Parts: sequence; C-alpha cells; structure tokens
Amino acid sequence: MRQPSARRRRAGCLFCLPGMAFLALFLAYPLLYNVWTSVHDVDLGQLLGGAERFTGLDNYRTVADDPAFWHSVRLSLVFTLSSLLLQFTIGFALALLFARPFPFNGLLRSLLLTAWLLPPVVSGTLFRWMLDAESGAYNALLEPVGLSHDWLTDPSTSLAGVVFANVWIGVPFNMLLLLVGLHTIDPQLHEAAAIDGASAWQRFRHITLPLMRPVSVTVLLLGLLYTFKVFDLVFVMTGGGPVDATRVLSLYVYEVFFTSFRFGEGAAAALLLLVVPLLAGVLYVRRLRREDEAPTGGAV
Amino acid sequence: MRPPRHPWLLTVIATAITAVFLLPVYWMVKTGLTRPDRVQTPDPQWVPSPVTGENYSTALGYEGLTRALLNSLVISCGVVALTLLLGVPLAYALARIRMRGSGAMVLALLVAQLPPAIVLAAPLFILERRAGLTDTYLGLIAADTTLTLPFTVIVLRPVLRAVSPELEEAALVDGCGLPGVLLRVVLPLMVPGVVAAAGLSFLIGWGEFLFGLTLADGPDVQPVTVLLNAFIGQHGASWGALMATATLISIPVVCVFAVFQRFIVGGLTAGSVRG
Repeated sequence: MRQPSARRRRAGCLFCLPGMAFLALFLAYPLLYNVWTSVHDVDLGQLLGGAERFTGLDNYRTVADDPAFWHSVRLSLVFTLSSLLLQFTIGFALALLFARPFPFNGLLRSLLLTAWLLPPVVSGTLFRWMLDAESGAYNALLEPVGLSHDWLTDPSTSLAGVVFANVWIGVPFNMLLLLVGLHTIDPQLHEAAAIDGASAWQRFRHITLPLMRPVSVTVLLLGLLYTFKVFDLVFVMTGGGPVDATRVLSLYVYEVFFTSFRFGEGAAAALLLLVVPLLAGVLYVRRLRREDEAPTGGAV
Repeated sequence: MRPPRHPWLLTVIATAITAVFLLPVYWMVKTGLTRPDRVQTPDPQWVPSPVTGENYSTALGYEGLTRALLNSLVISCGVVALTLLLGVPLAYALARIRMRGSGAMVLALLVAQLPPAIVLAAPLFILERRAGLTDTYLGLIAADTTLTLPFTVIVLRPVLRAVSPELEEAALVDGCGLPGVLLRVVLPLMVPGVVAAAGLSFLIGWGEFLFGLTLADGPDVQPVTVLLNAFIGQHGASWGALMATATLISIPVVCVFAVFQRFIVGGLTAGSVRG
C-alpha cells in the first residue's frame, strides 16, 4: 500500500469512531459498572435513588461462602466438559464422513446445520417435549427396550437431558469447523501412505489426527466459550431445577440478580463467572495472533 | 480425498444419520400439525393424520403472539441495520487503513465476544432503567448489537483485506474521492461478506432471549422468544399449540439460512476459525 496520507488516516479514525463509541457505551461501560456494583451494597430500593454503600469485598465473600455458588460451579464444569467431549467426538466422526465426496453431501450438511441455527429457546422447548415423561417421542422409542424415563424431572438425570440437547446443538457447528480443517489436509499424503501399505486406521492415526491438532484445539476452545455461557437452553428446559440439579453458573447469577434483586452479590458472581471465558479467551486470542502473523494463514 | 468406491452407499449412511439427528425438528413440525387430542398419547403417531391447522389457530389466538412476532421482526431488522451502520466502516478502517491503535481495536473486538450475556444483562438492566431505555426497541436493539457488532467486524475484516488495494488506488488516482471509492469500488466487492454479516446478525437478533427477558417488561416490545417461554408456563399442557408457535419462530430462521446459506457458512467458518 502507498504511504497513507493524513487525510486517509483521518477518515480511518472517523470510520472507527461510531462503532467503538457504541461498544464503549453499551459494552465496556456496563462491564466496568458491574465492577463498581460488585463492591457496593445495592438493592432494588436504591436502583433509581443511588445511596449505595461501599462494602469492599463483602459481596465476593458472601458469594464464596454460599454453597449454592460452588454447587453451580461444579454443575457448569460437568455440563461444559461432558458437552465438549460428546459434541467434539460426534462432530469429528461426522466430519470424517462428510469430508468424502458423495451425492447430496452439501444438502445433507446444510440440513444438519439447522439444529445449530434454531434459537436456543426453540430447541429448549422442543427437547422438553421430546423428553416429556408421558408422551415424549424419545420415551416412545425407548419404551420397547425398557429405558423410558422421566428424564428432566428426575434430579439424577436432568443434567444429562440438558447436556443431550446442548450436544445436539453443538454437533453441526463442530462438524462444520472440523470439516474445514480436514479439507486442508493434502490428499497426496493419504495416497502416498496408502501406496506404502498403510491401513485406513494407520492413516487416520498418523496423518489425520496429528494434522488436525491445531484445528481441534481451536474448535474445543470455541466450544468451551460457547458452552460455558449457555443460559437460554437450560433456563427454558428446566429453569435450573428440579430443585437445583441443573442450576449452572449463568442461572445462579440470574437468580441472585434478577430474582432476589441482590445486585451487589449478583455483580460479584457475574464477575466470577467471567474467569473461565477470560482464560479460554486469552488462549484463543493468542492462537489467532500467531496465525495472523503467519503469511499463508495455514489450516487455522 | 480419494473418490470413494461406493459414493451412493455413503449417501445412504449420511441420510440415515441426518434423519435420526433431525428427528426433533420433524417432531416439532409434526406435533404442530397433529389434532390436539392426539398429541399427548402414550403411543404417539409418527405421521399426523389428519393434518390440521387447529394448533396454529389456537397459537395465533393466544394473547400477544402476533405482536411478539412483530416485535422480534422490528428488533432483528434494527439489529441488522445498526450492526452494518457501525460495523462496515469500522471493519473497513481496520482492514485497509494503517493507523495507530488498530491492533488494539481488533484485540478489543475479540475480547468483546467473551463475556457471557448474563454478565452484560445485569449492569444493562440497571443502566438502561436509569436511562429510560428499558421497555423500548432501542434498548433491546442496542443490547443485541453488543453481540453482533464485534462478530461482524471480525467476519468482515478478512473479506475486506482480500480486496485488491490497487483497484482502490487506481480509482483514487482517477479522481474518485474516498466516499466515491467506497461506494462504487469497495462496497460491491464486499457484498458477500456484508450479506453473511447481515444474515447472521438477523439470526442472532431473532433468537435472542436473555436481553428480551430482562430488559423488556411488557408485551409492547417483548420478543417472541420470551413469549414462547412464558407459554410453557401458561399453556404447559398444550404441546400442539406450543410446537406450532415454535415452528412459526423457526420458519424465518430456515428461510434466511436457505437464501443466504453459502454466504453464512463461509462467513461463519471464516469468522471463527480464521479470525
């Protein structure tokens, strides 16, 4: 590019200004305001008045002393890790299938993607109905093998039910991204190995898997970011219940903040909820940076 | 990859998997078309007979459904408009103009995608209430745009980078001013990226739930996602009407995806894998 003229630079600033100002006002400022709320005693009465009392780290202490908070942390970890494991494995298997050319490949792939596109509220409602104790379709299928069950209202299986729905949403997305990765593997590698007598399994194990490592890490990190923040699906399917069997962290924050109106504590809990996404985000951004610097771009 | 020996066999396998996978979607549509008295039976019908529109008239008779559908349409169109208005110039500047701070801005946009919506919904609830923005379209559109704007810029930036700078410079030399270059040269080249961003922003705005739940008090601006959730409480037993409502909400999603599919999938993979 030519030496940028001063005029062009000015235009650049002008182009950035509205968007960045908007994000400062509606994203950065609220997040900072959350920090402020988390060190004050704020409830519904003071919402419009503004006679909040500075309380230091009291709100954080209250949250950390709440067994329900730690219960939610555990649920979030179980929910996230089991969703990730399942959606990645199934997504990978499907990507391997769809990486091969066959008639109607594109059409079927697009159809699968509808699962990911449906609003989570719709999917949540839908899975409530699919897993319904009396007349849910899945129970009708499981009945003959004696496995029909009241999935969502039994506290010991409700989390599994929510994970099931979440995996259903996540699989097509995982498949799509892994497919992009598979397409970047040079087919000649497979051909050469096949000529040398490598079996399909050996080729998968020693060519596909190692070459898919960078893509896989990115997909898992993205999955972690998406899954950890899930709110709608769980809220609609179980509302956190029965009792607290599916009250993941985002629902815990919602209840403290929007149901009990304990704004200070809710803000503190919200900031604690940020820890995992921020850690995953740092890793993700570092990966993107490294790739941004690479001149060819590479697989990921 | 080598052409498989039996491509049709793979089609059969993939079709079977897709069919099993999409059973819930079929079930949603099917339940919506089944006679209400045959919906909740221990032995469900796999094909509705006779097909009936009864559930749809019940659902559309529910108070507020048409209004909520309209609200969702207004909100998601507003989200698309605001996102493009703010995002296109921003993406252009970050992709094509060398200036101080652009690296920091790109980083900020990546970080902006990290906070879970609930972390933002909490302070927005207080701040928008104080500013009188709760229960307005604007309040909801602005909240939703915090989700779509960072994402849009990140999808658009690589697209804009791919546009050859020579073309733009040639037009500049020919005496076309910067606004003219943008309108006549750059904009047409970035149409696929902009379409992808618009489509995805629409889908995000249409499906958004948490901001609708927390920032809208009444039926005046409440999106249809919030209403569907409320219906589960109010009409919990009428699954026929609930599934009819769910189908109505899904139709625009499927239409938008069907029309802009190529763009959206391209933008999606470019946005998340490539950054």
